[in-house]
Parts: sequence; structure tokens; C-alpha cells
Amino acid sequence: MSKLPSSQLARASVVGSTAVKVGVGKLKTKAKRPFLSEQANESELDKQHDKEAELLFKAITQLRGTAVKMAQMLGMETDLLPEKVRIELSKSYYQVPPLNRVLVKKVIQQEFGEPPENLYKQFDLTAMAAASLGQVHRAELDDGQVAAVKVQYPGIHVSIESDVKLMRKLSGNAIRFLPNHRKPKKEIVDTTINEIAARLMEETDYELEARNTSWFKQHLVYDGVEVPHVYDELCSKRVITTQMLKGRHIDDWLATNPSQQHRDKAAQLIYDCFVHCAVELGRVHADPNPGNYLFKDNGELALIDFGCVKQLGKRFTDHLPALLYAFYLSDFQKIVEAYSNIGMSFSEKVESNYQSVLQPFGEWLSKPVREEYFDFKVHNDYTSSGLQLMKSVAEMPTVETVEKDFIFFDRTMYGLFKIFERLEAKVYMRAKWETLW
Amino acid sequence: MKISSKVKEQTRIRLLESAVDVITEKGFDKASMREIAKRADVADATIYNYFSTKEKLLYGYCEYVQQQVMRELKALDDFHEYSLREQLHQLVEMELRMWLPAREFLQIVFAQTYAAPNLGHELLADTKSLLTMMVVDLIDASIEAGEMPEQPYQDLLPVLFWDYQSAILAYWLKDTSDNFANTTQLVDQSTEIIAQLLLGGVIGKTLDMFSFLFRTHVLQHMNSLDAFLQQPELMSAKRRFMQGES
Repeated sequence: MSKLPSSQLARASVVGSTAVKVGVGKLKTKAKRPFLSEQANESELDKQHDKEAELLFKAITQLRGTAVKMAQMLGMETDLLPEKVRIELSKSYYQVPPLNRVLVKKVIQQEFGEPPENLYKQFDLTAMAAASLGQVHRAELDDGQVAAVKVQYPGIHVSIESDVKLMRKLSGNAIRFLPNHRKPKKEIVDTTINEIAARLMEETDYELEARNTSWFKQHLVYDGVEVPHVYDELCSKRVITTQMLKGRHIDDWLATNPSQQHRDKAAQLIYDCFVHCAVELGRVHADPNPGNYLFKDNGELALIDFGCVKQLGKRFTDHLPALLYAFYLSDFQKIVEAYSNIGMSFSEKVESNYQSVLQPFGEWLSKPVREEYFDFKVHNDYTSSGLQLMKSVAEMPTVETVEKDFIFFDRTMYGLFKIFERLEAKVYMRAKWETLW
Repeated sequence: MKISSKVKEQTRIRLLESAVDVITEKGFDKASMREIAKRADVADATIYNYFSTKEKLLYGYCEYVQQQVMRELKALDDFHEYSLREQLHQLVEMELRMWLPAREFLQIVFAQTYAAPNLGHELLADTKSLLTMMVVDLIDASIEAGEMPEQPYQDLLPVLFWDYQSAILAYWLKDTSDNFANTTQLVDQSTEIIAQLLLGGVIGKTLDMFSFLFRTHVLQHMNSLDAFLQQPELMSAKRRFMQGES
């Protein structure tokens, strides 16, 4: 099945009705609250979140493409969506309904003026995996190389702007229903959405993705990490053809029961490679979707899908280690200094937030570098315990300007740690930073 | 000298194509048979051996497009492996692709048909039966393959498909989105619905439901009417009346 509501009207009705349902649902729990014991109240709220997750998920799969991506990104943000919603959304990574053979052929014909059978020695019209803005097909090139061909849903670029508008509306509604003390600042939400929207627009441009992939292929030389070769002549705005790399997606890989040693190795590679990209190359693969990593039997990795690449400012990468160090020392003056070097500004009253917000946040943030290595099997609640802290930093009333790079850096870090938790891996983080302090 | 049928067919196609050019450039009313003939390198009088009126040229091209659609579909190697939904989808997409070079002309066809519906209806009969035939084929093959159940009003369905196809073309003519992305999505979604209706045997099931309601409720009411009519008092009253007693 592949229905993709296209007009803004159709989308508005999809999202609108969901927002309304969620809204009404919220009111119902509110109304019920006084009559429930605290515990029952909690579980009632949980049930409520379950229902919301289901509804949102339904609406979002209907919108497919952009909205899925957008929601994935928002879901990664600290506070916009409750945990249950996030879990539901994470399911959507591979679950978007596929394009049928007719559409796949049409897109290729439209992009290259020729049907797939003329361009590839062999082209499998049945998709092997879904990507959020498209789907991936297996193909063979004339020289016998096996390639992965990503085909974009036709029309996704046309409706992207209306999608962004709708997500703004939806997040506005979501915020309205949050209790006052948990309400994020509107400007911060707006900055976040704008930044995500800009990335999203870029993501529909497969030519850009092809350039990014080639860039990483050329510059990211890292032992144990593979980046696919791009076949430029078979790339366009809506189709991208790259070398097919071996490896399994995280769930499939974990199902093969990889040894602790291999899981540690994979996690370590992900982390080192990320820090290397951020600090040395100034560019990160900023989509923490676990679907972007392929795991090999020996714990080595393949990086795929460079749709969301973030170029970090030099100011940011230069001062990031100092910030982490300041948090490590729990030194208030140094923290504020590092923040302002990076480009975040606070009002004068920021000190009042130190004890309650910044200090606990810093303790959490620097926890993995306090020891030689950090074991995510032992600290399997690390990301969830940090969620509240990240939220409170985002909601700090004394933040005046947010450095955009933070949004992606934090989100990616958080995403990586989530992956490490799933891998139950031991990761050596301290050594990597110590040399930079 | 007798002209071979092959040459004849080529001339016919040349005339149709120059008709598209001339009519698109000048509009239907201002386009002349003479100019169309000239553009096709055909003598003024000869054109009338092929097409007696401008209208026949106009709708002749529609039929020509339909034939091309059929030819192109036959040329697809794996078309027979497609599901019914994909086949219908491909049919509509092919229609759009074949019309693409003459999209402005199609606009004129629509305007002309709207202005003179009876004539249009008459002259489009061959095109329509060609499309209908294709759809009948697809549906028959699908039933034979056991993909979908037999359909009541099976003959009516392909005709409905003609109307659907016309609606899609009309939407496409108004579509201003990049690469007609909106039409692409509409076709994707609507063929899905059509296929679901057919595959699920929805039409048959709906009719079954009505027939069930009719049998169990309407007929039962008729029974109760019988019972009413056959009540002893009423029967005797009726007899008395018939026998002229008061």
C-alpha cells in the first residue's frame, strides 16, 4: 500500500484530526486526574501516551517521507514528544510502505530518460529496504559490481514546505498541552524546527547526498570504517547509486549474538569515528538513526546514508573540548566561558541556574569521561537518566542564544549513546578527549 | 498505382501528427485542413481520403495515442508478472506518458469535447472501446489467475475505468506541480483504491449484503402482509363483500 496524502489540505486534515484527538485525549486525563491515586494516575498517563503514540504514528505513516523524518528528528529532541511516542516513532525507521514497480520505473525514467533495464545490468524492482524519503533497491552494474540504488518518493520535495508548516503547528499544539514547568521556550523550539527543516530540504537533494558521500569517502580514512563509493553517472536529484556494502542493520546483527568483544569494537569505532569527524574533519554524519550503520561480523562498520551531514563551525569544534573539560572540573566560571566561546549566551542571572540545572547536567555529561571506560551494560539507564537534565537545560530561562551546532551535536551524541545501550558495549571515551584538553 | 497499406498508415500518422502541431499552434477553429495537409506533405485533396473533417483528426489522434499505449504495454517484458494494481497503475502512467508530448493538444480535445459532447462521444467510441478492451483483458487475466473473484457487473467496470481515466487526464492538465508530482500521487492512491475494491470483491459483497437484507427483511414483511390479508375476519369480510352482502 502506498498512499501519500499530497495536498496541504489532505495533510492538514490528517494532522489536524490527530492533533485534535491527542488534544481531547489530554483533556480527558486531566479531567480524570483528581479522582485517581498518584500511581494510578501515572499508569493512566502512560496509557494516554500509548494512545497518543499510536495515533501520531498512524498519522505520520500516512504523511510518510518528510514527516517521518521530521518526527524522527523531533523524537530525538529532548522534550517535544513523550518517551512512548518516541518508541513508536523509532519503529518507523524501516516500516514506511513501499513504492511499487511502476513508480520505481517511472522515477528512474524521469530522472535519466531511460528505464532501469537500460542503465543497470540487473535491477531488482522490489525494494530491499525502506529509507525515510525513499527506498533502496539492489542492482548490478555492467562491470558486475553490486550497487545500492536509493529512489526517492515522487513529489516529496513538492510537499516538504507544507509539511514543515504542519509540524510547526503540531509541535505548537504539543507544547500547549505540556504542563507549565515542562514547557520548552518557544524560541528554542522554533530554532530547532528551523534547523531541522533546513536539513530536511537538503535531504531531498540526492545530488547533495552524493557529494557528501564522496566527500566522506575521500576524507574519512578510518581503520575498520567503510564508506561506499558513489557512481556519479547514476545519480540525480532523486536517485542515488552507491556501492553496496556488506553488513547488517543493528537488530539483525544483534540477532546473530555477536560476542562482547565485537560489540565493544563496533561501539568504540562508532564513537571514535564520530569524535574524529567532529573535531578533525568538522563534519558529522548528523543523523543518529541506527539504520545508518551497517555492522559486520567482526565488529567493523559501514557508514551509509549521508543525507544529513552537518558542517560544524570551527568556533564550535575548537571550544567543545574545553566545555567538556569545564564540566568535568565542575568549574562554573570555566563552563560559562566555554559556552560563550562557543556562541551561547546567558543572561546575568545564569548563576541561579547553576546548582539546579547546569551542575547536575554537567555531572551527567562528563560521567562517561570520569572513568577510563564507560560500560553501557552497567549504566543502561544513562540516556534516559540524562533526558530530564537535557530538558531542563533546554528550558533554562537564562539561555539567550542557542548555538545551532549544539542542536545537532547533542542529538547525535544522544543517538549514539542510545545505540551503545542497545549494544551493551564498553566504550573508552576519556582517552579520546584527554589529548584535546 | 496502388499504394501499399503500410505507406497509407504512415501518411495517416503523419497527418495526425501535423494536425497536433497546427491545432496546438493556431487553436482548433483557426487551424485549416489545407495547412495540416501541407505540413504533412500531403496534397490538399488527399487529406480528405483519410479524414473527412477536422474533428476526425482531433479524435483520430486520441485513438492513435490509445494504440501506442497498448503497443508500449505489450513491449514491457514483465508486465504479465505485475499485480492487477500495478497493471492498472502502469496503464494510467503509460497513458500520461504517451500524452505528454501533446499535452496542450489534449487541452484542446477536452475543450472541444465539452463544447460538442455528442459529436465527441461518437468520435471517441473507438478510442473508448480500445481502452475498455485492455481493461477487460486485465480483469479477465486477474480472475483467471485467481488473483481476484468474479465481479458482478463485470462489463460495466471497464466503462467506469474510462471515466476515471478521463478524470485523471483532466486533473493532470490542471496540475502545476513540479514534474506533475501531484498527479503521480493521485494515480498512485486512486489505483490502489480501485484495485482494493476489485480484489476484495467489495462490489459483490455489497450486493450480497443488500440481497441478504432484502431477502430477510423485505420479503419477511411481505409474508406478514400475507398473514394480515389472510386473517379470518378479514377473509370473511372480503367474501361477504364479494358476494354483495353488507
